[in-house]
Amino acid sequence: MSGNLTELLARAGGPQAPNALAELKRSRERERALEPDELARIATRTGLPEATIHGIATFYEDLREPRGRRHIRLCTGTACFAAGAPQLLRRIAGELGVEPGCCTEDGETSLAEVYCLGLCHSAPALCDGGVIDAGPGLLERVLAERCADVAAPEPASMLERPVLIAKGDWSGLERALTALGPEQLLAELSAAELRGRGGAGFPAARKWQAARAHDAPVRYIVANGDEGDPGSYIDKYLMEQNPALILEGMALAGYAVGAEQGFILTRSEYPRAKPALEAAIADAQRAGYLGERIAGSDFSFQVEVREGAGSYVAGEETALIACLEGLRATVAARPPYPAERGLYGMPTVVNNVETLANAPFIAREGARSYRALSPGATPGSKLICFNERFARPGLWEVPFGRPLSELCEQLAGGVPGGLKAVQIGGPLGGILPAALLDTPFDFEPLAAVGCMLGHGSIVAFDQATDMRALAAHLLRFGARESCGKCFPCRIGLQRARERFEGCQPPVRGELEDLLAALELGSLCAHGSGIAAPLRSLIEHYPRELGLDER
Amino acid sequence: MSAERGEPIRAEQCDSVRVCLDGGWLEVGVGETILQAAERAGREIPTLCFDRRLAPFGACRLCLVGVQGAGAPLPACTTRCHDGMVVDTTDERARRVVRTVLELVLSELPGDPLPGSELDVLARRLGVARSRFAGRTHERRHDERHPYLLLESELCISCGRCVRICDELQGAFALTATGRGFDASIAAGLDSGFANSSCVSCGACAHTCPTGAIRERLDTL
Ligand SMILES: Cc1cc2nc3c(=O)[nH]c(=O)nc-3n(C[C@H](O)[C@H](O)[C@H](O)COP(=O)(O)O)c2cc1C
Ligand code: SF4
Ligand code: SF4
Ligand code: FES
Ligand code: FES
Repeated sequence: MSGNLTELLARAGGPQAPNALAELKRSRERERALEPDELARIATRTGLPEATIHGIATFYEDLREPRGRRHIRLCTGTACFAAGAPQLLRRIAGELGVEPGCCTEDGETSLAEVYCLGLCHSAPALCDGGVIDAGPGLLERVLAERCADVAAPEPASMLERPVLIAKGDWSGLERALTALGPEQLLAELSAAELRGRGGAGFPAARKWQAARAHDAPVRYIVANGDEGDPGSYIDKYLMEQNPALILEGMALAGYAVGAEQGFILTRSEYPRAKPALEAAIADAQRAGYLGERIAGSDFSFQVEVREGAGSYVAGEETALIACLEGLRATVAARPPYPAERGLYGMPTVVNNVETLANAPFIAREGARSYRALSPGATPGSKLICFNERFARPGLWEVPFGRPLSELCEQLAGGVPGGLKAVQIGGPLGGILPAALLDTPFDFEPLAAVGCMLGHGSIVAFDQATDMRALAAHLLRFGARESCGKCFPCRIGLQRARERFEGCQPPVRGELEDLLAALELGSLCAHGSGIAAPLRSLIEHYPRELGLDER
Repeated sequence: MSAERGEPIRAEQCDSVRVCLDGGWLEVGVGETILQAAERAGREIPTLCFDRRLAPFGACRLCLVGVQGAGAPLPACTTRCHDGMVVDTTDERARRVVRTVLELVLSELPGDPLPGSELDVLARRLGVARSRFAGRTHERRHDERHPYLLLESELCISCGRCVRICDELQGAFALTATGRGFDASIAAGLDSGFANSSCVSCGACAHTCPTGAIRERLDTL
């Protein structure tokens, strides 16, 4: 985003100014279509140019898709793909007489696709108005207009004493304020070697130190709750069922880096997350853990929750910042990194919500106890989740370093239809054939087999899965979600998608050039990462892909 | 002195750094990008989204170069030089990506690039005449409501130069990027055309546009 737009935002009041995306979302709820008059009013209210408002309104899926009085969104994310969502989509479209992405002429019913509602354990999933339903009998319930909310599975832990599924109780912050101080807290975090859980595995302490080192009137803590990975419902669990732990982690980050304001970005596909976090914020304020002079110290900290509007790339940290500012969630070239110039131009720590949820334990029990959770592997523990193809899908807290086969068999009960392959860590993660399932679940061993730990989702494909259809599915996701900024991803993913959706066999040489352009040329890990599962498929299932070897 | 011990000189300690460009060493100012250094050395690096009047954007990726020690090619326009950096503008991996990206760009247009446009000249210079990547192209959409400015959306490659020059140089904020992914484009005002936007008719967008998607009308001269 341009410096001048940052300046305009600052002039309008920065974080206090009316947020353009929030205004657009509100209008959209009321009016079903965003008319030019309304956009012009929003421009006036936010102090932003009309063109800028138009640009935002055409970026986010929630603002773009046509909406009827009854708005149905079927998930076609990877877990739902594995459970037959594409076929279900065609059935629903046929029965209701409305094409996906369209609205009936009378304005009554609209049908849209959505990427992941966080019910991957009961896939396929669907959102009918405000109700989120999933699982067997879904078609019948949609047609009878009798959808009902589905409950989340109870989380479980392999740890003797759970860390991430134990409810937050603010004891870590209390210890930091009374016994540690910011420097000692940073030292503990550094010794704990906490690695980011949002995908890249970057050391959290280094980010915190960098933000602290940059001189500025204010600093911000941003919790990334955008969990866009289809197949993942880890952050959903944390935000909806253990929000205090995230808030405590944010407050600790604030204390360590000298920030007094935090923001969480939740996604609109998880409508319960924002209210749950807001209720937890109110509780914490009442208990004196958020607000002015926390627990009698001179540390003050506030948290505000903002919600996105349908964009995968909004989870990328520079796009996330733009989204929080209410702008188009496109990626910005780094440097500058957010720790130097982030939200509203100020030094900002961006951490995944699960990363932050580790901080209270470290503050309370120290780095040594933390490292002991996963002997001989990456310190700490990890939340993982299994999709509906498993016999016992659900959410687990596990130590690092266990073989995937143990996790898939013992925790999730294996795959009744016979396991063909798993995709780990979201759409940008490689695909591991069943034969390699003895790979340990940890950053480096997974990277060695062309996969990644990513955010920790494990999506199984059973023997019936057509790997060429899977390639087309992933590329379609990539192309639809591309932010459109850099050329290799903007054009390359469209072309790659066309190659696999068409009837012609993709030509090997062209595909190799396309993948190289994506991997080496893309501005962010969306474009470069989508190449990883394609590489796996080419390596392990060349015949099924039906490549033209010319 | 840290330099004597063979450690890199920290940026604060001096106002210039030395970089090696295709085998020759040169001195560049602290904070200068590889593109600026190359220009000074008289080396031409292809660019499409770059305009020296604007902040670097890093979108087209045509300026990719090899940098010793970096895992992948780096964009010359957004990468700052550091002392001892070894840059190779002929890096094979970078050249391969650049050719592919240029082919991709040609593939999004419904026809050949506008003769004489920056894109046309660049494609000829790099010897990329046609694209292997046929597929969907941008829909024909013309805005001819403004007396002097013409927008032909199907020629737009979303380099963002028009939007940025309107914002950064003119301060008029008449333009925006629209949509996303392959459907990304640009629009004036609330997609209401230049004539019905905060456009001040300065023509900066037409001047910077590398494809002629926005250009001055000849029929009204
Ligand atoms: C396309 C894309 C999507 C991303 N989505 C998310 C996301 O949903 N949640 C998340 O925490 N990080 C996401 N990331 C990673 C963030 O850019 C960033 O690295 C992360 O939030 C940093 O937190 P961590 O260091 O605690 O992991 C995404 C990155 C990319 C390139
Ligand atoms: S790789 Fe894709 S998502 Fe990332 S900046 Fe480029 S266009 Fe946007
Ligand atoms: S109209 Fe021209 S300058 Fe503007 S984004 Fe398109 S190609 Fe670039
Ligand atoms: S609910 Fe469909 S992929 Fe998660
Ligand atoms: S000129 Fe460097 S990315 Fe476009």
